[in-house]
Amino acid sequence: MTVTAPPVPQMPPPTQPRGRLQRFLRDEAWTGALVLLFAGLLFWQSTQVRAWGSFELQTLATSTLPLVFIALAQGVVVIAGGIDLSVGAQMVLFNCVAASLMEGAGFGSSLALAALTLVLGAVVGVLTGWIITVSGVPDIIVTLATSFIWLGLALWIMPQPGGGANPSFQEMFVGSGTAYWPALLCIAVPLLVVWVPLRRSRIGLSIYALGSDPQAAFLAGVSAPRARMTAYALAGMFTALAGLATTAYTGGGQASIAVANTATLGSVAAVVLGGIALTGGVGGLIGPVLAVWCLFLIPANLLSFGVDPSYGEVVRGVVIVLVVLSGSLLRRKWSKA
Amino acid sequence: MAQPPDLLEVRDVAKSYGAVRALVSADLTVSPGEIHALLGANGAGKSTLVKILSGALRPDSGTIAVAGREVRFSSPVDARRAGIAPVFQDPALVPHLSVADNFTLTGTDRAAVRPWLDRLELDVDLAERVNALPLALLRMLDLARALAHDPQLLLLDEMTAALPSDYADRVFAVMREWRDRGRSVLFISHRLTEVREICDRATVLRDGRAVDTHRTAEGSEARIVGAMLGERAARVDLPMAERGPAAVPGARPRLEVEELVAGRRLKGVSLSVAPGEVLGVVSLEGQGEDDLFLALAGDLRPKSGRVLVEGTPVRGRHPIQAIRRGITLVPSDRQHAVLPQRSIRENLALPLYSSMRSWGWISDRAERRAVDKAVEELEIDMRAAGQAKQLSGGNQQKLTIGRWLVGGYDVMLCFDPTRGIDVGTKHQIYRLLRQQAAEGRSVLMFTSELREVRIVCDRVVVLHDGRIVAEMPAAEADEERLLHAMHDLGPHDLGPHELGPHDLEPREAS
Repeated sequence: MTVTAPPVPQMPPPTQPRGRLQRFLRDEAWTGALVLLFAGLLFWQSTQVRAWGSFELQTLATSTLPLVFIALAQGVVVIAGGIDLSVGAQMVLFNCVAASLMEGAGFGSSLALAALTLVLGAVVGVLTGWIITVSGVPDIIVTLATSFIWLGLALWIMPQPGGGANPSFQEMFVGSGTAYWPALLCIAVPLLVVWVPLRRSRIGLSIYALGSDPQAAFLAGVSAPRARMTAYALAGMFTALAGLATTAYTGGGQASIAVANTATLGSVAAVVLGGIALTGGVGGLIGPVLAVWCLFLIPANLLSFGVDPSYGEVVRGVVIVLVVLSGSLLRRKWSKA
Repeated sequence: MAQPPDLLEVRDVAKSYGAVRALVSADLTVSPGEIHALLGANGAGKSTLVKILSGALRPDSGTIAVAGREVRFSSPVDARRAGIAPVFQDPALVPHLSVADNFTLTGTDRAAVRPWLDRLELDVDLAERVNALPLALLRMLDLARALAHDPQLLLLDEMTAALPSDYADRVFAVMREWRDRGRSVLFISHRLTEVREICDRATVLRDGRAVDTHRTAEGSEARIVGAMLGERAARVDLPMAERGPAAVPGARPRLEVEELVAGRRLKGVSLSVAPGEVLGVVSLEGQGEDDLFLALAGDLRPKSGRVLVEGTPVRGRHPIQAIRRGITLVPSDRQHAVLPQRSIRENLALPLYSSMRSWGWISDRAERRAVDKAVEELEIDMRAAGQAKQLSGGNQQKLTIGRWLVGGYDVMLCFDPTRGIDVGTKHQIYRLLRQQAAEGRSVLMFTSELREVRIVCDRVVVLHDGRIVAEMPAAEADEERLLHAMHDLGPHDLGPHELGPHDLEPREAS
């Protein structure tokens, strides 16, 4: 008795040569659509506002700055296949830490304190990643629990709103007059200095690998704990930046649970709208930034249109649903075609 | 003259998953410069041993030595450092990253991969994302990556399963080249022809133990099969005569398909299956066979054409419509059908839950009776009754078939039901399908093992380019005729030398 048939001759599988441009368009289609959406919203605003100019741009860039950083933090974690419900709480904690330390400090010592806050952010992130790794408890539970800890600490540090910030330090984030470029620079520098090089390195790729396919990543020699802790550490540094930006924007600190929760939920919305798959491994950090700006412009535009701001929230929700829905429908169509 | 130490020496390695002892005592030695086959039925412990050797799993006990030095791997990186590079059936490539990024991820030198890509004739854009590339190509890329690390031992786990033959030939050529360089290959395969042709020695695992090692030149396939089966070797192919009554000719067909067009490849197929008949479908890969099965199962909406059961049309919008009319699918990929976290019992009783005839409690006693019967008929391994994911592939496949024995059906669509399954389980499935036919049910079975047509089917149709190009009684369907038809060739276009060895015709086991 024999067991096998002769190997069946088969056609070689079809290889589809793709051009660089075609592949770029396919891979970056989501970001491209967001750029168009953002440009459309900006144009709409410019037609609504008389003497539209750098003031509107400054409002957009500076008031969204904390949320942009929060979205970046969430983005890194989601790319690694996790989710962090404590980003808002971390932001509030670092806001209180920075505002209480920086009160009355000079510019030089403010910078040193800002660096310290960034280090604290990384420590908080590593700690979060470590707890998730060691306990084996899902990250959604761990970060929900840690969010209570960070909020409690924030309230302990700053029971009443207070603290302060050095004016020069504030200008570093929010600029002076109607300058919007400091805020943009604040976003661009960490992305260019930290994220872009990391994205091409083994450790950055391991973050993507962990989110994309943990089993394949393991077999490829990726250490899941290290990749996870790196992702959460990066997220912690971004939440620290969010806390610093809040301090600079408001000139003080406030341990507000409502702010923390809104920020956390907003970060998830921005990540989803920004084209990062909640299943992990897909997306980049440009998308969430654009998404935050779009989500800011929608109610603002409606307001200038004379619409009740509460409807603005409804429209914001509808836009998220529509974009995500059409995105997934298009993806399904492409994968079938 | 001192004997050089073995390249790999595995002694008395054991591994258990909870109550299931996957490996009891595995021994294996691989010499420098040899191609060594690791064989065994499903559930014999092959995959467990491979995982241990590639550092993905730690053994409970036993020793592993590489070039005379004992090693303990705590991760795949350790194994690679020790000179063992694995290539799996499911490539260890991260889907959302580009091929180049995947090479970076494993610290693979691009300059070292390049010659192997050329050697394997892989013309691929390294900037392309992995999940946009076909599986067969990914396996080859994974092989090129493994070779670039210049390992002492190349571990190929079912790498050639469902690999196009031109790719497989390149893999064999590289394996021989590797041996000629004095390096070694551990080759795991279900295809004994490959093993006989290319391997120097073979080790056979059975029930977690190494039961036989021999030079393949001395050993015939019969010896390997005997060692794999152990006491089960007594069971041989079902002779045609014992298969029970064939379909009554001229009976009214149960399933009729009229000019069905579906998906991207199915361009118009008509066929009919009678009660008590097993109709085989064979084709090369990608001729519309999967579209045919999915469309019949209601999982793919036909573009045109009709499907009729007992003369009345079936609407093909959702699998539930097909199931209600008695058409059930056993898909090619077991992973799509098994609920991995749930028990064997729940997996089998699943179709019972879907009938919401009574909103009350599910009748426990009726369920148990039906499930017990299926377990007995299929001889399902109940040692790991708690979670289906702990079962071997063959036992999982039995679950996906057994589910419909419990749930009841008229027409079963089996897509390559024995792919990647050991010989013993294959025979159980053959017997079961014949038994089902004898009870008056109808079976439509796609198979990639042409030999199965004569064992299981009454009749066979051949698909080519989305249409049926040939139909014949199973008794006349030898592999040569089927291969001719599958390539849509005239009787003399294909020389016999291209058909593979002729000593593969079914013969009696020793």
